[in-house]
Amino acid sequence: MSSVNGAVPTTIIVAGLALAGYALLMTALNRRMSVILLGALGVLEILLLVEVGIIVAKLAGGTHPASLATLIGYLIAMPLVPVAAGFWGLLERTRWGPAVIAVAGLVAAVLMVRLHQIWPIIHV
Amino acid sequence: MSDPATSPEPAARADSTRTGPGRLLVAVYGLFALSASARAGVQIATKFGHAPVAYVLSAFAAVVYILATVTLAVGSPVARRIAIVSCSVELAGVLAVGTWSLADPATFPDATVWSGYGSGYGFVPLVLPVFGLLWLRRWTRRARASTG
Repeated sequence: MSSVNGAVPTTIIVAGLALAGYALLMTALNRRMSVILLGALGVLEILLLVEVGIIVAKLAGGTHPASLATLIGYLIAMPLVPVAAGFWGLLERTRWGPAVIAVAGLVAAVLMVRLHQIWPIIHV
Repeated sequence: MSDPATSPEPAARADSTRTGPGRLLVAVYGLFALSASARAGVQIATKFGHAPVAYVLSAFAAVVYILATVTLAVGSPVARRIAIVSCSVELAGVLAVGTWSLADPATFPDATVWSGYGSGYGFVPLVLPVFGLLWLRRWTRRARASTG
């Protein structure tokens, strides 16, 4: 069970870092926002929503961490990260659009590590 | 004192402190504004007595980040001036609180964004105001050049 639960955060970390790497490469190559970047951002969004679902299911199961308020804040913020980055990045017509997407990828990875710190039963 | 209506800049009209590299800066500032406010809010609401100094400084940092995010995103001459002040206060804050947290750890049983020069946040809080000020300096020079 824990291997299944740990698979999603681990996938998010790998996907987030891969997205950040690819997006930064696009910035370095002076490319603008692309359909590929938006698609990857969409995949990240779906993964984050799945993780939110897993955590909500655990909360519904009756257990919760010491800092429940912080966890709820994370649950709200997590799915907003790719959406906000997508909108903000699309407004930009230079290489700095992909750079914004890179931030979203890094943030998604960091959020998974922080989630594990807030509630250790969330395996990374 | 450049009035955008009377002294049109040769660059595209969309060009502002929020475009180009500024797009990235505003994104990162927005991220820190959000996370610092949320964190300070939770800390002050749930356990203020535990580390009052740290939590008040967290809240102060949050206000500075919000101010920097908004003013960089607006980008008018007045906003740029406020942004310069915000970034300067932020740099001074991260250096002062960073030193203070290392010299007197007892005052900081819980971390702030600026503890240990922002080490808990990958030192981004230390680097961010430097990039912010460099970016704003470019705009101050450009404004000066356009007014002659």
